[in-house]
Amino acid sequence: MADAPLCELEHIVKTFALPSGADMTVLDDVSLAVGEHEILALLGPSGCGKSTLMRVLTGLIAPNSGSVRYRGKPLVGLNPGAAIVFQSFALYPWLTVADNIGEPLRARGLDEAATRAKVGEVVHLVGLAGFEDAYPRELSGGMKQRVGIARALAVAPEILCMDEPFSQVDALTAENLRSEVVRFWNTPQTHLKTIMMVSHDVKEVVFMATRIVVMAAKPGRIRRIIENKLPYPRDYRHKDFQRLVDEIHAVITETELPDVQPAPAAPARGPAWEPIPDAGASQVIGLLEVLDDHEGHADVFQLVEYIGQEFGRVLAVTKAAELLDLVDTPKQDVVLTDDGKRFLAASVPERKVMFRERVKGLRIFSDVLAMIDRAENRRVESDAVLEMLALRLPYEDPDRMLATLINWGRHADLFDYDQERRQLFTEEVAAAANG
Amino acid sequence: MARYVLAIDAVTSPARASLRSVRPDMLALAVLLAIVVFLVIGLSQAFGPAPATQAISLSPGVLPMYAVRTTLRMLAALVASLIFTFTYATAAAKSRRAEVVLIPLLDVLQSVPVLGYLSFTVVFFMSLFPGRALGAELAAVFAIFTSQAWNMAFSFYQSLRTTPHDLDEAARAFRLTAWQRFWRLDAPFAMPGLVWNMMMSMSGGWFFVVASEAISVGDTRITLPGIGSYVARAVEERDLGAIGWAVAAMTCAIVVYDQLLFRPLVAWTDRFRVEQTAATVVPRSWLVELFRRASHVRRAGAWIGSGMQHVARARLALPHHRASRHRSAADMLWYLGVVAVTALLAWRIAQTLAPALSRSDLERALVGGGFTLLRVVVLIALATLVWVPIGVAIGLRPRLAEKVQPLAQFLAAFPANVLFPLAVYAIVKLGLRAELWLSPLMILGTQWYILFNVIAGASAFPTDLREAAATYRVHGWKWWRDVMLPGVFPYYVTGAITASGGAWNASIVSEAVSWGPTKLHATGLGAYIAEMTERGDFARIALGVIVMAVLVIAMNRLLWRPLYAFAERRTRLD
Repeated sequence: MADAPLCELEHIVKTFALPSGADMTVLDDVSLAVGEHEILALLGPSGCGKSTLMRVLTGLIAPNSGSVRYRGKPLVGLNPGAAIVFQSFALYPWLTVADNIGEPLRARGLDEAATRAKVGEVVHLVGLAGFEDAYPRELSGGMKQRVGIARALAVAPEILCMDEPFSQVDALTAENLRSEVVRFWNTPQTHLKTIMMVSHDVKEVVFMATRIVVMAAKPGRIRRIIENKLPYPRDYRHKDFQRLVDEIHAVITETELPDVQPAPAAPARGPAWEPIPDAGASQVIGLLEVLDDHEGHADVFQLVEYIGQEFGRVLAVTKAAELLDLVDTPKQDVVLTDDGKRFLAASVPERKVMFRERVKGLRIFSDVLAMIDRAENRRVESDAVLEMLALRLPYEDPDRMLATLINWGRHADLFDYDQERRQLFTEEVAAAANG
Repeated sequence: MARYVLAIDAVTSPARASLRSVRPDMLALAVLLAIVVFLVIGLSQAFGPAPATQAISLSPGVLPMYAVRTTLRMLAALVASLIFTFTYATAAAKSRRAEVVLIPLLDVLQSVPVLGYLSFTVVFFMSLFPGRALGAELAAVFAIFTSQAWNMAFSFYQSLRTTPHDLDEAARAFRLTAWQRFWRLDAPFAMPGLVWNMMMSMSGGWFFVVASEAISVGDTRITLPGIGSYVARAVEERDLGAIGWAVAAMTCAIVVYDQLLFRPLVAWTDRFRVEQTAATVVPRSWLVELFRRASHVRRAGAWIGSGMQHVARARLALPHHRASRHRSAADMLWYLGVVAVTALLAWRIAQTLAPALSRSDLERALVGGGFTLLRVVVLIALATLVWVPIGVAIGLRPRLAEKVQPLAQFLAAFPANVLFPLAVYAIVKLGLRAELWLSPLMILGTQWYILFNVIAGASAFPTDLREAAATYRVHGWKWWRDVMLPGVFPYYVTGAITASGGAWNASIVSEAVSWGPTKLHATGLGAYIAEMTERGDFARIALGVIVMAVLVIAMNRLLWRPLYAFAERRTRLD
């Protein structure tokens, strides 16, 4: 970049304390410079810390270590040049559209006349003229987000931060809003220099951003930064557009579904466990069925389109299926293995048996089963398992892992969970039958 | 809306048009004027030179004025409760250290019987303004305050703790200061819950205002002009007709208060509800509609409103507690300090009381406590058996529920202690055993809480669950056990907790009742406290109150809390 960066984040580390007492590292040594006059997009699956990074930049969250600088000076408290547009709109239900937009201005002490003028100007800009006296509950999702954008623009920020702004808006309105946001950026009237947006939608990011930061999860770090030099207005169907999308897909699969598994992070104690992705057993089986419809193989991003969910979720299900040896993931493809094909052909009881065999083969499950067998009455407190999970898998959320563990365990008939007493247990009969 | 009306009428006659638009204003002004007059008269009397013991006339003509005085005391207590709520609950919600002390304290305060406080506070306030009515008024107002404030404070505290995270983040991101965030986000969000709890508190309040208007604590006697003292005098003179008039006046007072204060408040705070879709039942109030259409009055009101908003938006910097590095060490010190102070206080109280009391006193109090506990448990069980089926039957029929709900709420608000002397009359006339037949009195006023909460629960029961039960032909006992009872359980528990607390309070005025010279007396802790209050024996009053508080807290922890937790965990429908 030619000019000095607007904002600099250096070696940011952020951990959160989980309710179970363990610490989860959300951002691990992340450094990023945000320049003037660019649209920067943070792209990654859920859990990669992109929202957290944005909040560190705006000053809402203080990092555990590392520095944040705004215009060369260290940031203390909130970033004076940033305004946020929220995923869930965050509008006060008891204020009208005009009052919601004017609230930050009035809070700063701006007088009534100036506030009204500014609100009127911004309302026209976002296309909400006529709706000034409506209440949020009367508006659709897209209109509510317009109000959110108007509110942010009204304070004339230098950096507009958008946290997954269109994920709760219907697809058609979202398309419309994307073009409009780019238009705001190009309009001198808004005084907008930079936009930083957080997203999980590859196409959205290629459509809007000038610089794309691809992030990886567990722990959150920057994988690659890609410049997007396509000219505006951008066309989804143009071959350069598609090429960039493919490039980003390749980076993502390289990160999330690597061909060579990296060694798991060094655990605090005991041999390594492989983390179980956040995917239910029925979702994994559903994936197999979908692959079957596509003759046993498909490009992973084709699957994302077909299934219609956020790519992070689909990747998690794919990873789970791969862990169970039911699919293979060479490069960007997802292919049914022979075992996967046999699974699909089998009857429901046979599938249960096959699923149980696969699951028992995973180290984490055999260790937990051993724990249950050794315990009194074959009952183990879930807190004890949580502790183990926190120790052996420091980058995962132990509560989430436990929930998935229980889901797979129940599906495989390996153990069950007593919600009242919070214990994992096996029935004597089943244990004897398994041997 | 007024403008729309004008547009149409302008075609016919401009003069008539302006008159039409002014009529709501005139009505609104009339209502406002009436309220102001009533406030002024009442307040001037309260602060006047009248003595603490005043002659109470029994003619029906004085009842309107007496009703005004009683209502005014309720209003004063409500204002005091609001101030308390905003300060206490905010402190508990914003400061972790304050929370450690304040919330358990609130718990204890809620469990001490209000009428038990009364004897101490009467003496205290009377000593501040000896011989004058003001001291007595303050004592009465304080009694009502203690019956309302804890409930409201707790609700406000819980709302502050559950403010939606994204709205809070937005407020911070747009640089609202803590003061601004409080008035622009926390308080509006807490409004619906607070107003609902205010209504609940009010229901109980009438009971205490009536009980506190005519009392004698040893040598100190108070008779304040009001419905409570009117009834007390009527009891002395054995005037059944006068009691009838008093009941009528009480009914009017409750209805007026409800229509002019609560329905409008509930209708107005509906806009603060955070559900993203519009509610199915929108509370309506004729008063709110009236003021909405009175454009001139509203414009004047808007001027005041914008002034208040200006204050709410002041960029005040409140002292911000920086979380220090040695948090846990300082916390440890704080907890130890709190425990030490509590222990010291308890020791001082024990030291003061011990010399005046003997072992037999303790025994008597405990035995009395046992009897009252037995009564409370049996009566709550009976009320459950009777009102739960009826409540469900009513709740499942929406049109019936619509008519019965306000009636049940009215019955819960109506101070049953006005009717206790009648019960004595009946018991004496019919020659019944006082020990047995005085017992139901304590649940007379509080059983309605169970009824209307169960009605609410049955009305809110999801239709699709009912339909599923019907299609799968779940009938009879199975339907009750597996469908309906779990469904209304959380609501039932809420109602039962209130009813049981109310019953303990009522025991103090229901276990020892008189009708003229006839005094009826049942063995129980309530009767013990009432007897000691009359004698002015403070040490024994304190003993009785402490024993009752311990029993209430024990019942809460051992019965109601676990039941409530069970209701939350297993039977919530969301």
